[in-house]
Amino acid sequence: MDMKDAKFLICDDSILARKNLSALLRSFGYENIIEVSNGQDAVNVYMHEHPTVALLDIVMPVKDGITATKEIMAYDPKAKIIIVSSVGTQTNLREAIKAGAKDFIQKPIDQTLLEQVLEHVMG
Amino acid sequence: METKEQAIEVLNRSNYQTLSSDLSDFNKEYIELLIQDLLMYVSDDISVGEIELVENYSANKELSQEIVGVPAAYSAMDAPEETLVSFSEAYSKMEIKEYDVLAKECLLDFLNLHNGLFVVRLSKLNICELTLSVPKQNGAFLMTSPATGKITVIPVTFPFGTIRFLLCELEV
Repeated sequence: MDMKDAKFLICDDSILARKNLSALLRSFGYENIIEVSNGQDAVNVYMHEHPTVALLDIVMPVKDGITATKEIMAYDPKAKIIIVSSVGTQTNLREAIKAGAKDFIQKPIDQTLLEQVLEHVMG
Repeated sequence: METKEQAIEVLNRSNYQTLSSDLSDFNKEYIELLIQDLLMYVSDDISVGEIELVENYSANKELSQEIVGVPAAYSAMDAPEETLVSFSEAYSKMEIKEYDVLAKECLLDFLNLHNGLFVVRLSKLNICELTLSVPKQNGAFLMTSPATGKITVIPVTFPFGTIRFLLCELEV
């Protein structure tokens, strides 16, 4: 897929986290990025925008990232979801993968790891 | 020098070792990682003042996050507005000049990052599986310790001022 065709959905309640992740994606050459701040908005936006990859935080108001992942996967079993969270405990890792996430990235985000995970998930 | 060694050195210049026998392992892990995270993500020019165990703490603003599970805990940070603004600027590497939405978001982002790394550490050590609540910001608040313990106040001084980090294990 051409980089310009790839669409990303970033869901995090932290403005700073969204800004940093968005800047990293742009540094990789991706330009089509949508940002939302809670899991419910992520589900709604996913259904309208059908992003190539959705990057979801876990701890968020309204709806957490694991629940949002389950709902998105129920809507689109082929969804490519990556959980990006500071709470990478064994329980959350298990829950994220069980919910259908393709991978888990621990915050603070390592640029090289993000690039590798995207390559793997989008490949 | 490794950040971990640097953190211990910073703590050794405070009353941390003297107070150590009064602190739970949970508290000690939290404090040591807090200093590491501050050195790593905010400033390598920090010192720790006198750590205190208190029954009540009154703050002008509430910037807090609960650690959920067993043990559960309440964490927060408190400082004058101008110090909080400088902290948010140092952490985010963005230009922040007033105590606005962005400044508050950056402060809560740090709290969430540190607490997240803390629960991950406990999980990796197979000590316990905890999670976090959504960080919150409110106006003035009075924190009262539960019957089981006290509030640990960790004053950390940066070039731009002192921030008090608070940790209180909660009854579950």
